[in-house]
Amino acid sequence: MTARTIKVETLARVEGEGSLYIKMAGDRVADVKLKIYEPPRMFEAFLRGRHYSEAPDITARICGICPIAYQMSAVHAIERALGVRIDPAVRLLRRLFYCGEWIESHTLHVYMLHTPDFLGYEDVIAMAGAHRQVVETALRLKKIGNRIVSLLGGREIHPISTAVGGFYKTPTKAQLLELLPDLEWAVQASLDAVQWTAGLDFPNFEQDYEFVALRHPDEYPLNEGRLVSNRGLDIDAAEYEDHFTEYHVKHSNALQSVVRGRGSYLVGPLARFNLNFDKLPAVAQEAATRARLQPPVKNPFRSIIVRAVELVFACAEACRIAREYEPPVAPRCETPDRAGMGQAITEAPRGILYHRYAFDDKGLILTAKIVPPTSQNLRRIEDDLREYAAQLVAWPQKEATWKCEQAIRNYDPCISCATHFLNLVVDRTEDSILP
Amino acid sequence: MTTIICCGNPDRGDDGAGFLVAKQLQTFGVPVKMCSGEATSLLDAWTGQANVVVVDAVRTGDPVGTIHRWAATEAAFPRARFASTHGFGVAEAIELARTLGLLPSQLCVYGIEAGQFEPGADPSAAVQQAAVTLAAEILEGLDCAPSSQPG
Repeated sequence: MTARTIKVETLARVEGEGSLYIKMAGDRVADVKLKIYEPPRMFEAFLRGRHYSEAPDITARICGICPIAYQMSAVHAIERALGVRIDPAVRLLRRLFYCGEWIESHTLHVYMLHTPDFLGYEDVIAMAGAHRQVVETALRLKKIGNRIVSLLGGREIHPISTAVGGFYKTPTKAQLLELLPDLEWAVQASLDAVQWTAGLDFPNFEQDYEFVALRHPDEYPLNEGRLVSNRGLDIDAAEYEDHFTEYHVKHSNALQSVVRGRGSYLVGPLARFNLNFDKLPAVAQEAATRARLQPPVKNPFRSIIVRAVELVFACAEACRIAREYEPPVAPRCETPDRAGMGQAITEAPRGILYHRYAFDDKGLILTAKIVPPTSQNLRRIEDDLREYAAQLVAWPQKEATWKCEQAIRNYDPCISCATHFLNLVVDRTEDSILP
Repeated sequence: MTTIICCGNPDRGDDGAGFLVAKQLQTFGVPVKMCSGEATSLLDAWTGQANVVVVDAVRTGDPVGTIHRWAATEAAFPRARFASTHGFGVAEAIELARTLGLLPSQLCVYGIEAGQFEPGADPSAAVQQAAVTLAAEILEGLDCAPSSQPG
């Protein structure tokens, strides 16, 4: 039987570091291995013995790309453990904070990291000459996301203003209103992005996914909601570990995650869109409809359009909050030192982020568990590659490798949450069927 | 006026090299912008500035703590040699800025050779020493014009 092996030593345009190995026997994919490391596990150990009030700052440092997500899951889990109820204005601000991170993250991925795949460029630098306006739009959008994060976080990187019970400092109404002209421009720019991403060419590849996302009765999910799936899952965050399990695979330091009794699942934009389309604001729903994007979207390559729709949502939601915001009576409520345990799930740009904390009567953390979205998608990425690589048997080596890398980028993996670069290598035996 | 931008993650071992240099410079009252090193944030940080110094951790295979110097406005940046924990980072920012005409008129990039990026780990002793040396060098020549060759 003919055989070849695809190995990617360094996958570009993902956050972090790792490698990919695919072994093919004839037209059958014999093996797929995503090899990566898992730094957050070390942060879990680092958290033990610290006061719960330190958790938002410590966990924010797991990832330079999505620190807000780590802060949000941390404060919600701890507040649940303490039975703390936050001021509605603080709740709004946290939602705005998350919108800022979504704008930063989705802009970076849609325009700078994923679009070059579809237009046939090695990277955004090669693309910038012929598509200058696209890149300049991305830079302006990214800056608007940065502005929100800086305003609410106290600084652009490693935000420090998030506290258990609220914020250390909250903005004035005037400061939020100043964001509006930029945000109104951003809504229009992201609407344009939905249109042009919908015009890209997509491979014919659909899978029967279990989509997992938060669902909230009144809004598109960010900070709250029950965890649901298209296969009947409907649970509280406290039940997460009863339904999902992590396991170690030999080829990687990263843990992989599965739904107990079922297997891999997909978290992130496709899952949120498919399970919460009816909760998108009208402007985002209409943009999706014009782009002929209706749930369920089962082609992961089309996630670039879904991210653009979520960009419309994040910009429109930020506008709404900026208009409606009235400062809270106090930036945060006092929180007691007492024993407790709490879990929370929030929607990071890449998908659900689970945190669990238990602490003693002095508020010192006894145990912490963090399951980042990229870890939850790892098994699903391998499953996609197993199916997709089989379609690439007749493709030349270079193009097949490129396509496999693109299939990984569909998930916008933040391997910083799990490691550094991804490496893909393609080996071929002498009797390879390929040129 | 020189704008100094220090990049990296202080909680990822030697990726904290830029922050160590920043701390040194700040003790002398020199203003420093901190940046994760993510490309678009870096572009934003130097927009409108004529004379810019960027400091980050690099991996080229040289001994840990080696200080590298590039005059980024003079030649294409050695992207393949410039690796850090940022997937879309300093090297990409420089080449994207070159394409878009957004490079400062003078851009000096200093890299400190990194050995490990362990989460929660302290920077290596060699990186800590290099940060002190590099901060002194930057202080001495804030209107620097380093060689385009790695040091």
